[in-house]
Amino acid sequence: MQDAEKTPDDMLLRVKNLTVQFGSGPMAVKAADDLNYVLKRNKTLAIVGESGSGKSVSSLAVLGLIKHIGGQIASGEILFKSDVLGREVDLCTLDEESLRRIRGNEIAMIFQEPMTSLNPVFTIGSQIVETLVLHQGISQRAARQKAKEALELVRLPNAGRLIDNYPHQLSGGMRQRAMIAMALSCQPKILIADEPTTALDVTIQAQVLSIIRDLQRDMGTSVIFISHDMGVVSEMADDVLVMKASKRVEIGAAKDVLGAPKEDYTRALLAAVPRIGSMTGTTKPKLFDIPGEASEGDTPEAADFDASEPIIELDKLTTRYDIRGGLLNRVTHRVHAAEEVSFKIYPGETLALVGESGSGKSTVGKTIQQLVDPVSGAVRFRGDDIFSMPKTERTSFRRQTQYVFQDPYGSLNPRKTVGESILEPAFVHNVVAPGSNGRDYVCDLLEKVGLPAAHVDRYPHEFSGGQRQRVCIARALACKPSLVIADEAVSALDVSVQAQVVNLLMKLQAEEGLAYLFITHDMAVVERVSHRVAVMYLGQIVEIGSRQQIFENPQHPYTRRLLAAVPVLDPGNRPERKPLEGEIPSATRRVGDEPKILQLEEIADGHLVARGTEGFEGMQLA
Amino acid sequence: MPVIRFIFVRFLQAILVTMAVTLFVAFAIRLTGDPVVMMVSEASNVTEEDLARIRESLGLNQPFLMQYFEFVKNLARGDLGDSFFRGPVWDLISVALPATLLLAATSMFVSILVSIPLGIYSAVHKGGLADQMIRVLSLVGLSFPNFWLGIMLVLVFSITFPFFPASGFDGLASLVLPSVTIGIILTATNVRLVRTTMLEILGAQYVMVARAKGLSERKVIYKHALRNGAIALVTFMGLQFGNLIGGLVVVELVFNWPGMGTLSVEAIAQRDYPLLQATVSILAIMIVGVNLAVDLIYGLIDPRIRVS
Repeated sequence: MQDAEKTPDDMLLRVKNLTVQFGSGPMAVKAADDLNYVLKRNKTLAIVGESGSGKSVSSLAVLGLIKHIGGQIASGEILFKSDVLGREVDLCTLDEESLRRIRGNEIAMIFQEPMTSLNPVFTIGSQIVETLVLHQGISQRAARQKAKEALELVRLPNAGRLIDNYPHQLSGGMRQRAMIAMALSCQPKILIADEPTTALDVTIQAQVLSIIRDLQRDMGTSVIFISHDMGVVSEMADDVLVMKASKRVEIGAAKDVLGAPKEDYTRALLAAVPRIGSMTGTTKPKLFDIPGEASEGDTPEAADFDASEPIIELDKLTTRYDIRGGLLNRVTHRVHAAEEVSFKIYPGETLALVGESGSGKSTVGKTIQQLVDPVSGAVRFRGDDIFSMPKTERTSFRRQTQYVFQDPYGSLNPRKTVGESILEPAFVHNVVAPGSNGRDYVCDLLEKVGLPAAHVDRYPHEFSGGQRQRVCIARALACKPSLVIADEAVSALDVSVQAQVVNLLMKLQAEEGLAYLFITHDMAVVERVSHRVAVMYLGQIVEIGSRQQIFENPQHPYTRRLLAAVPVLDPGNRPERKPLEGEIPSATRRVGDEPKILQLEEIADGHLVARGTEGFEGMQLA
Repeated sequence: MPVIRFIFVRFLQAILVTMAVTLFVAFAIRLTGDPVVMMVSEASNVTEEDLARIRESLGLNQPFLMQYFEFVKNLARGDLGDSFFRGPVWDLISVALPATLLLAATSMFVSILVSIPLGIYSAVHKGGLADQMIRVLSLVGLSFPNFWLGIMLVLVFSITFPFFPASGFDGLASLVLPSVTIGIILTATNVRLVRTTMLEILGAQYVMVARAKGLSERKVIYKHALRNGAIALVTFMGLQFGNLIGGLVVVELVFNWPGMGTLSVEAIAQRDYPLLQATVSILAIMIVGVNLAVDLIYGLIDPRIRVS
């Protein structure tokens, strides 16, 4: 049957009319609906779409693993030219035995979460050896040698030592490389990479992407690259398939789909993508142009801020975490999470605090929240130090400083209606008089954040991720704050939702004169939202200045490295990057081994850069 | 080095727990009345002076804390003292302890042997007929009171159909009914535990990765998933040991099994202070010891907590 029409030679994999569904009968949900695509030899096909679009499910179908997540292939064919079986087979109907000979051997997969993809109780080496022995029938010893070579291929230093390490001894980026080594160990014809860099820091992402690209070129592997990140897709893909709600929206060469999209949905998706460098020459934050939201285009630029008196001022704030050990449980090491961090935020201003994991950016937020105590330094709120102010003033400070966290699922109590959740802090701080039901107050807030007031009695699970984040924003606003700390507040959201939430935050800033401390790792979003930017590395600020100064005239090598690592949405052009090597060092130090405090030098009005590049030599870029 | 420190801390903990438990038991049993009165209850013409003399010879005229201190001092030397009625305590325990350990080990073994395959099968075929039946059966098993189950088994398997002895400890055949009684109750809990643990782990990313490598489903489940499941299972089964000892006391009585449980109950009935204090101390040390062993095994299975 499947040989009815001859597949052209360069087409390695053809997916025809694939429908995957969960459940059966009238309750069935289609996760892929009449999907068609072709993967060519030695090419990368990117599948893009937002969460729930079915992009991951369709790739699990290629491996015949759909039944393990509770779904089934309802109809369609997945034709694959297998060398092991010596013929073109339909992966949808192939027997399990033959499928197993293809899985991991001819078609391998890398998953999104490097932290959970490797089995924690086996060494890295034994997990790679297992695959090799299974598919190549070689001895343990030969397999071990090959595993070591595979680890070297993904540029892991000390492969000979790492092979006997357990996954928890490796950083996220190293684990993902080990995962790639495992997937490529049998030299597969197809590599499926499901959001392989989403959980990684941007500089580490750049490393992993360049490894995948190089290995693809050297081995002649075809890649199915699943991602929600348009910038990454633009850098990796030859062809792009856009999916929405289980269906194909459009497919074509990357430069056509990303450069001149035919469909409205693709255009809307692209419009929501923050493009680094798109704000060059401007000084103020700018709303995203969201098609359909154009009526509000009267305020395309956010308001300027009042730079007379800072609302909050950090003065040499130092926060460390003690690590105890030894026989007497004494402090042996300290995590130098924040070292002499100083900055000011003015009313109506957004200061973006950027850095990679371990840079201490969240610790700064937590210290302002008084969730951790600083070792030294001061945080002055309207001139008064929050750690020494009397209790009544401290309560007032707490009311005026509110927070929005990254995970909108974890930060709302599932057993309370959103109305109750929003009202609770307002009651605590007497913003709403005790006894009054506060319902009108909450309804106003819901409308302000763009949710229908009628949703006040709903529970969090009835909302999508973006709507929940709006609820969290409404809760923060309920106390009439003057400063909002947004800790990765839009990082977990889909791009189109992210754009809406970012726009909402900017509009609220203009209306209420709010100051934001915007903590994030995403440079492209930072360029949109911020007035000023502070770059943190290993607990210290290495560069701080206006948005324009940081993005158009970055001085510190780390800032440059961070900016250069951001994937650029530039259809048809793949930037040739110098491979960036090395891991971010640990901020954990022995007691007594204090880090050197960087001295900041003012090179232009308000633009401060750490003097000297000691320790940053490896980061110099052209 | 940290392992030594860990064991050292646990050892101190064990001593404290044993002290606390025995102090409480020694105090509580003295509230039940005078053992000397009980000893002489069948004799006639006992004078107050006789009673006082007996008390003095047993050391019962001393203040409570002195008596307790004496007990601890002897315990530290490995001397468990003499029972009021039955000679050296050590002789009694050296018979009862192996009997109890045999019963406990057999029951645990039976339960593990049954509950791991059943629990895994149930998790893999979640929602299927077998899963439903296993879950209902385990609920039924959980609902049996252990003494009732023991009596029913005796009724059926040694009275109606005389396959196994009804009581006592006489050869391996007499081990069957008591260990099955405890085994059924343990299995009922363990099946559920294995099932939920495996369900959680089978949903983990690394299990999907193992499948994507082309491994057979058997290898995925028994190598990749079970090894991770063992971490939780070992912890729970260690904690279960305390409950097991409690259950053993009752079941030993039902089957007249000459173990630590029977010995303790007899000691209580006779107000045999030294014997009771000794049996309780040994049971407490055993429970603490098993928990220490669990923590050490835990480190062997899970490289993440293995100390470098």
